[in-house]
Amino acid sequence: MSSTEAFFIEKSRVAQWIGALMDDYRVFSPVERETGEGEESVYSYKKLTDPADFSHAPYRPVEPLKSFFTPYLEKVADYFGNGDIAVEDGPSVVFGIKACDLAAHKVQDYVYLQGVEEDPFYRIKSDNIIKVSGDCTGFKEVCYCLAMDGKPYPGAEAGFDLNLSPAGERGFVVEAGSSKGEALINANSELFAKADKDMLSEREENRRGVVESLEKHLEPQKLPSCESLQSLVKGGMDSDIWDKFVITCVECGGCNFICDTCHCFLLSDKKSDASNRKMRLWDSCQYKNFATVAGGANPMKSRGERLRNRFLKKFDFFVENMRTPACCGCGRCIEVCPGEIDIREVLKDLK
Amino acid sequence: MTEAQVISHEKNIYSPQRMILKDVIEETSNIKTFVLEPEEEFSFATGQFVELSVPGIGEAPFTPSSDPNVRDEVEITIMKAGRITSILHDITPGVELGVRGPYGKGYPLDEFEGKDILIVGGGGGLAPLRSLFYALFADMDRYNNLVIKYGARSPEDIVYKRLVPQWGERDKVDMELTVDKGNDEWTGNVGVVTTIVNEDVPVDLNNAVCVICGPPIMMKFALLQVIDLGFAPRDIYLSMEKNMSCGLGKCGHCRLGPYYVCKDGPVFTYDQIEDLHDIFD
Repeated sequence: MSSTEAFFIEKSRVAQWIGALMDDYRVFSPVERETGEGEESVYSYKKLTDPADFSHAPYRPVEPLKSFFTPYLEKVADYFGNGDIAVEDGPSVVFGIKACDLAAHKVQDYVYLQGVEEDPFYRIKSDNIIKVSGDCTGFKEVCYCLAMDGKPYPGAEAGFDLNLSPAGERGFVVEAGSSKGEALINANSELFAKADKDMLSEREENRRGVVESLEKHLEPQKLPSCESLQSLVKGGMDSDIWDKFVITCVECGGCNFICDTCHCFLLSDKKSDASNRKMRLWDSCQYKNFATVAGGANPMKSRGERLRNRFLKKFDFFVENMRTPACCGCGRCIEVCPGEIDIREVLKDLK
Repeated sequence: MTEAQVISHEKNIYSPQRMILKDVIEETSNIKTFVLEPEEEFSFATGQFVELSVPGIGEAPFTPSSDPNVRDEVEITIMKAGRITSILHDITPGVELGVRGPYGKGYPLDEFEGKDILIVGGGGGLAPLRSLFYALFADMDRYNNLVIKYGARSPEDIVYKRLVPQWGERDKVDMELTVDKGNDEWTGNVGVVTTIVNEDVPVDLNNAVCVICGPPIMMKFALLQVIDLGFAPRDIYLSMEKNMSCGLGKCGHCRLGPYYVCKDGPVFTYDQIEDLHDIFD
């Protein structure tokens, strides 16, 4: 199908659509969480039980998209049983994904679906999950997608199955990016109309507006350009800034776990009377023994070396291997860090 | 709406193959060779590694030390060094172990064809090299001279004492040993391995490759020595040690610059990695 084909759904019909989807899928949507007075609104994923709970969040939710694809802990093998593993899963529709999440998801796809072998657990998730993204209508203080050559709305090649763009108070322009997404429209075609020119130009206007205000927000931050990052980080190999920034690091691993591109995991055995099993759990390169070999030698002994590793992985390794940095500018690592280590400040200091 | 989907053992990249531990051979005070019988035929290329599991305890990466042409038995020589290896050193034959792999790129034997081969080994590094020796011995017509220089801490620490004498007696094979510290019975060389890697090494530097495998500090100095002798970086093959875990370039533990040791190595030519930072750290 042509990527320019776009549909329209009226706001009053959205709940009916979501309700119909709920008959066939588990449906997830960000919902607003309670926050203190004067604080930024926060959106968190919820499995919908009531279609009325659906909301179009203005920016990305707290949780990274990867949490739908690689749970933080899962069984990946049984020892010597019949050898087969049953994965309990079913088709899901995930709303509220933003362009930053889609950009990060390409890194996850690269790791799990490409390379030496495809990961069968991730493959099942990829087949089962329908990704519905939405244009940002605002941004968080920590958002910096533009500095990573991203946009607060997804382009046609971004990898969504469907994308929702608010068109004023009337409803949403809905664009399909895959046959999986198209099927969600076709199955409920009576709820959709073809998007007209006005709606599409309204979408463009909204997009332009968000980009402009995000530009204004980022301008004083003077972040280094995306294409300069690899040489900045490699050039900063022997810099003392790693030790300087890491002073407040408590090695919680939060920056890695909340990061939508970070993918490292640990394989760990679990003993049980029934059968021994191999588990996979998220791991963090900020942990002391991440790279320790038998006998105790550790190429990343200091916290500074481990902070540097995080940056080398993002801005050197992935640029070398997949021609894109493993950072989408979502700012989750900034929000999560109890030591207030700000990735933007580190990159600026390298400059 | 929740459906069970099945991932078969064959399709599951994390599912280990069952092997029975047939025998344990004591090589030195802290090195043992584990002889495993695979449930199904198991093949690997020399220099590739496997993940060996103690079910319910965990797994660790090792390079098989046996002949890659033998499919119904795999030998892995293991130094007691960490948690898993300590447990392995305490187990007795009859136990079921798990093996995933083989993983990575081994020694590119085609590149060695028609050339002299200098192999510099240190300590437990002789374990993966043993499988390389067998692969070369099986086809010695393809290669020129094979020169092996091996250093151990002491005569007792020499791995494969039962096999070393017969290797050195083979046609076209020149093997020399040295120990850091001798004892009353030792009449051979004393000194670190670099002391026997010198201009007298009988290889044609214009047509030779060099393989180095051993503890990081030994590799570092052996590398400097063979560069000094005149080996080109692209002709020097290094076995890099990292904490490989998944074996598939996914888990992220064994990054070495733009590479993962598990899939791009563990054998690298020096020209691939010479510009990287602290490769022997």
